Amino acid sequence: MFRLTITRALNGAKVTPKPLFIAARLQSGEAKKPEKIEVFIDDQPVLVEPGTTVLQAAALIGVEIPRFCYHERLAVAGNCRMCLVEVEKSPKPVAACAMPVMKGWRIKTNSEMTRKAREGIMEFLLVNHPLDCPICDQGGECDLQDQSMAFGSDRSRFTDIDFSGKRAVEDKDIGPLVKTIMTRCIHCTRCIRFASEIAGVDDLGTTGRGNDMQVGTYVEKLFMSELSGNVIDLCPVGALTSKPYSFTARPWEIRKIDSIDVLDAVGSNIVVSTRTGEVMRIVPRVNEEINEEWLADKSRFSYDGLKRQRLVTPMIRDNTGALKPVDWEIALLTVAKVIKNAGSNIGAIAGGFADAEALVAVKDLLNRLGSEALCTEHTFPLDGSGTDLRSSYLLNNKIANAEEADLVLLVGTNPRFEAPLLNARFRKAWVHNELEVASIGPKVDLRYSYEHLGDNPNLLQQIASGQHEFSKKLKAAKKPLIIVGSESLERPDGSAILSAAQSIAAQASCSKDWKVLNVLHKVASQVAALDIGYAPGVDKIREGNFKVLFLLGADENAVEKSDLPADCFIIYQGHHGDRGAAMADAVLPGAAYTEKQATYVNTEGRAQETLAAVTPPGRAREDWKIIRALSEILGVKLPYDNLNDIRDRLDEVAPHLTRYGSAEDANFVSQAQELAKKAKVQLDNTPLDVKIKELQDYFMTDSISRASPTMAKCVQAALKHQQSKYQ
Amino acid sequence: MSSSLLMLRNVTKMPLKWAAASLSTSSARYVEPEIKNDVALLNPEEIEHKKKLQNYITIEGTTTDISIITGVPEEHVKERRVRIYEPPKNCMQSGTNNIGHWEMDFDNRERWENPLMGWTSTGDPLSNLKVQFTSKEEAIEFCEKNGWKYYIQESKLEKKFKPKSYGINFSWNKRTRTSTK
Repeated sequence: MFRLTITRALNGAKVTPKPLFIAARLQSGEAKKPEKIEVFIDDQPVLVEPGTTVLQAAALIGVEIPRFCYHERLAVAGNCRMCLVEVEKSPKPVAACAMPVMKGWRIKTNSEMTRKAREGIMEFLLVNHPLDCPICDQGGECDLQDQSMAFGSDRSRFTDIDFSGKRAVEDKDIGPLVKTIMTRCIHCTRCIRFASEIAGVDDLGTTGRGNDMQVGTYVEKLFMSELSGNVIDLCPVGALTSKPYSFTARPWEIRKIDSIDVLDAVGSNIVVSTRTGEVMRIVPRVNEEINEEWLADKSRFSYDGLKRQRLVTPMIRDNTGALKPVDWEIALLTVAKVIKNAGSNIGAIAGGFADAEALVAVKDLLNRLGSEALCTEHTFPLDGSGTDLRSSYLLNNKIANAEEADLVLLVGTNPRFEAPLLNARFRKAWVHNELEVASIGPKVDLRYSYEHLGDNPNLLQQIASGQHEFSKKLKAAKKPLIIVGSESLERPDGSAILSAAQSIAAQASCSKDWKVLNVLHKVASQVAALDIGYAPGVDKIREGNFKVLFLLGADENAVEKSDLPADCFIIYQGHHGDRGAAMADAVLPGAAYTEKQATYVNTEGRAQETLAAVTPPGRAREDWKIIRALSEILGVKLPYDNLNDIRDRLDEVAPHLTRYGSAEDANFVSQAQELAKKAKVQLDNTPLDVKIKELQDYFMTDSISRASPTMAKCVQAALKHQQSKYQ
Repeated sequence: MSSSLLMLRNVTKMPLKWAAASLSTSSARYVEPEIKNDVALLNPEEIEHKKKLQNYITIEGTTTDISIITGVPEEHVKERRVRIYEPPKNCMQSGTNNIGHWEMDFDNRERWENPLMGWTSTGDPLSNLKVQFTSKEEAIEFCEKNGWKYYIQESKLEKKFKPKSYGINFSWNKRTRTSTK
């Protein structure tokens, strides 16, 4: 609020010369690259940039200073005082997290004074912290536990338990995901800073002072964020814990398996925690190039959907029209017989959760049967270069580089709900880098201010031809980005939108390795499917008169029974009994992403692999193995018997599919643009739209999250919040 | 440095003698003749061998396949995939002492609930084998020695260094200004 009034005052033409002078001096200082200064941490010399804090300087040489409120991805608060250290010749200990180092400082992180200071802070924190570690969900991975063991006193002087007792605070209800036990709160304000800086939701704050200070939402309301689960990780104590996970497992009894999230196209790195063959929780894993250490709520909490609505046994539709469970032998023989009779008259549709191994196996099988009708559920324009050049369907500039952008144009996308972590990067750039954002599409809430240009696709044409105001900004920008939502490319005039975006991108004046044009996908399988050679969109299936249709986890009703000939036999292979299985004549149960070692390619074109955390339920099997078994019965045996063999096949098709972790640069941007000019489709006037506009639309978008009770609760809570007077 | 070490050695030997002397109560001290077992009982080759063992052992050709003699069942040598990786910091905690090394683990195999106690059983003897190494090369060498197929999962943990500042919370013209507390 204060900032607004100041800027308004300044805009009122009364600009004093003094602040401008300071700003100019600062800028020139930055350009010069200041000299490094030397400080001594525990007598070890270290050279640091000026402005580095004591805590950062210590971290550079591997000396860890204890902290509660400091978090390297949040602003410095300096209110827990746990990081107090002694500086030689300084009469008082200094807070290492907020104090910039000075030349020649001798910092003692393990001196008598430092240890005494830590012990004192620890004692104050524990006076008002309940001793409920045995029933606390944070127990075992609690910073307060660890640091009281390492730095706390070995005895207690707290005797007031008989008189006024420990401080007790009422718990808050902030939604179905985050459980609050506010008595445990030590007021580090990490959750508040996360909400206001990273999530952009200024819902959390403090009331009262001193002993009466409370963290909360002021009025009882839902914590309206798609990133709300991250405050659970941030909380150094057990004040904020996961509601679905509460009292289910302890950190020392769970098995942690590193994996990849597939609920959006970002490919966040996750750790799947399992116990007794069951997924207990999902937490993020640090990957600086993708998700930093955050995770979106759908990815974190929809794991209970993996235990419901599962296909656990093969099924065949009998003459009464009901799906009857059969064993694998009968299922495979029946399916093989139908496919044999159909000959090459078979098509396949791949859904959003299909992994690269299954995709390549299905493609190899159908190609061997003489069919080329392999499609993805989600459309992509095929005019111009279509999917032949990777640069026209990837997020070319990579997720991490979004931080450096100075101008972003969103076209027909709502990144907040299509890729929450990419939106978090945009917000980071908006806060720290003065990023400017403009959007063509529906007016949605992105949690940062942006210029809404309108929703008419013809605006793209105007910007491309330089008639629009925005094109000047674009030309002036040094690092502009155009983010085209995959949903806008699914329109009939998708190719014209892509072509217009490409020509706008070509006009930008920036360095060669900055890629302006970026496409944001919504599902995890799309890029891998296009890389392997699937045709985007299901037009082929609608037109061709197929006898057999193979659905590989296709659940979005891209093709309905009425679109197909009456005698078409539908085979569904997937893990959830959703829309696809409902229309199928035969069901082959596959494995979900936590149950197989599989390759996924994210929207940047980065191949990553999931690892098997649990075994598939019942008789479900890994997807590519089912196809491999089917191929043998069909007499067109696929030449791979184990994971190494099929990975070799992937390598043969496209080598980047097995270069895990790295994103290959896509090139031929200008050639793609030249080819796109040949597209004959014209932009039409129907306004650009996105499906997911508000928080309640975000939670249930695919077969896993539709089966998740937690996600259903979230939708309910978000809808209820709409009725609330506290918006 | 070497002279100080020499001194140290002398010092450690001296008090032993004195200790023995101070313990004895008799006025005339009987001095036992020192018989060194190794000299008396061992032949020269054995003495040579023992001397060698007191130093570090250098093994030549470290990457030779030892899977034939490790006793690991053949199935677990040929069919397993080892992942070599650098564990990242646990997002739930701020401590960093348990990271900064390389680790290896095996592909996860089937587990089932044991009907007797409801505990989880596995038929995989290697499921709990998690070995830590100081470097990637060491892990690779260990896997090669044991005949396991391995792959390296690179973690993306490097972060650009940016000085933190308390002041930006109060900057009057930047979006970093904090509004909530």
